[in-house]
Amino acid sequence: MSQVGATPITAPGWTAKPKNGVAIVDCDVHHNFRHPEQLLPYLSTFYQEHLLDQGLHLGGYPNIPIRTNRTDLKGRMKSTDRGGKKDAGGDPRDFNFTLEFLQEEHLDPWNIDYGVLTGPPPFYGYSGLPDPDWAAALCRAFNDWTIEHWLGRDERVVNAILISPSDPAQAVEEINRLADRKDTVGVMVPMGTSMPFGNRFYHPIWEACEQHGLPVVSHIGGGGGAARTTPTPVGYPTYYMESRMSRPTVASAHATSLICEGVFEKFPDFKFALIEAQQLWAVSVMWHLDTDWKALRDQTPWLKRPPSEYFREHIRIGSQPMHEPEKPEQMYQMLDMLHADETLIFCSDFPHFDWNDPVTTFPKLDEDLHHRIFAGNALDMLRIDTGN
Amino acid sequence: MTSVVIGKVGDIPPGERKIVVPFRGRAGIGVFNVNGSFYAVRNICPHKNGPLCTGELSGRVSTDAPPSTRGSTIAVDGLGEVLRCPWHQWAFDIATGRCLVDPEIRAKTYRVKIEGDDVVVEYEN
Repeated sequence: MSQVGATPITAPGWTAKPKNGVAIVDCDVHHNFRHPEQLLPYLSTFYQEHLLDQGLHLGGYPNIPIRTNRTDLKGRMKSTDRGGKKDAGGDPRDFNFTLEFLQEEHLDPWNIDYGVLTGPPPFYGYSGLPDPDWAAALCRAFNDWTIEHWLGRDERVVNAILISPSDPAQAVEEINRLADRKDTVGVMVPMGTSMPFGNRFYHPIWEACEQHGLPVVSHIGGGGGAARTTPTPVGYPTYYMESRMSRPTVASAHATSLICEGVFEKFPDFKFALIEAQQLWAVSVMWHLDTDWKALRDQTPWLKRPPSEYFREHIRIGSQPMHEPEKPEQMYQMLDMLHADETLIFCSDFPHFDWNDPVTTFPKLDEDLHHRIFAGNALDMLRIDTGN
Repeated sequence: MTSVVIGKVGDIPPGERKIVVPFRGRAGIGVFNVNGSFYAVRNICPHKNGPLCTGELSGRVSTDAPPSTRGSTIAVDGLGEVLRCPWHQWAFDIATGRCLVDPEIRAKTYRVKIEGDDVVVEYEN
């Protein structure tokens, strides 16, 4: 087992001094099963039959490419890891199917102190399943499979347990079931829903999260933007690139809803991260809501402070895919506008083609800001026990 | 101190206002009768210079908790004591000129006296 913070620095281009404390918390590491039948031992007999008879029932928006992974990882799996069936997770040769692969290809070479498992995006389609019980069963099975095959062997690997938002009662049960595990550091909910997350329908879930000190790490999913609705509010996009651009609108809708419905007045210790949805939308939400609030405050009198204050205190933004501004100085301006020292959390999105590595994603940053983005903000949010 | 008689008390019944133009500039002032008390506010919104005193009257809306919290209620107090700028709906306390959202933001106010039957607005020279 690796020693946290004590591994030699070997990452390409990484010339910093030996690490002192936690330097990198990666809040988005995708792990996956090779084939859905791996979930069978974790399903009840009824749902085993369901899976064998009907399959996962998970469909993404059909312009999502099968191959969304880094192609350099192709063929680097150990031979024993090959030969799985092709499934919704994509090409079985190049995904992150084992802890050993994750360690060798990501955690070791990049000196990741903690990597948060977020599961496979094709699987996030569960949030769009018409049957909430099948969705909850899949989440339970996936969590148990993760516990058995990924957790407890490397303290760097921590988990955002999957829950389905379509039945809050079962989501709360799942949170309560797994909250006592040390490696449960957050709760993953896909952003593809039929109602924005501030709606009171979901409040029992957020209440359970707050009670256990767990933040939500919500990943874009179930399609380019949403699973139960069109990926964009204006209809169906033709190409995958278009679907990706719906993500900021989806994240904006959820963040705005969480603030306006008073979720953070009700649950003052609750934090909510929205990841893989880009970043600049957050500036827009903060600025626009503050302006509107001055005129429309009477409609939401339970908000005691400007909306941007709730945002900065409670909402976190994944750093991937990081914008690449036209002019280099605009990156610094953007980080300033985002209040990145409070809001931005580093996400690699390993092993996907649009991943961001820890070395080249940002320009040279002030040391404090660098630490906030790469570790501080995440450690303040996630329930990680660093032993300090 | 300069005093200006802007009208008779009976000209401005409770809940009504009188816009006096010009008054120390082209924008003028609004003189409001709020439940029998008179107040004068410069007709310039500190936000974007809109004609503040031509806006609608409202009250103070408040609650302790979001409506999804059982038992929470939303109260409206002081109906008629709040003025909303017609341009962008920013709300101001008529008596103090303070913006409800940010009390540091203030519309200019003037002292109003009732002398006999006259409504008198005062300002420093």
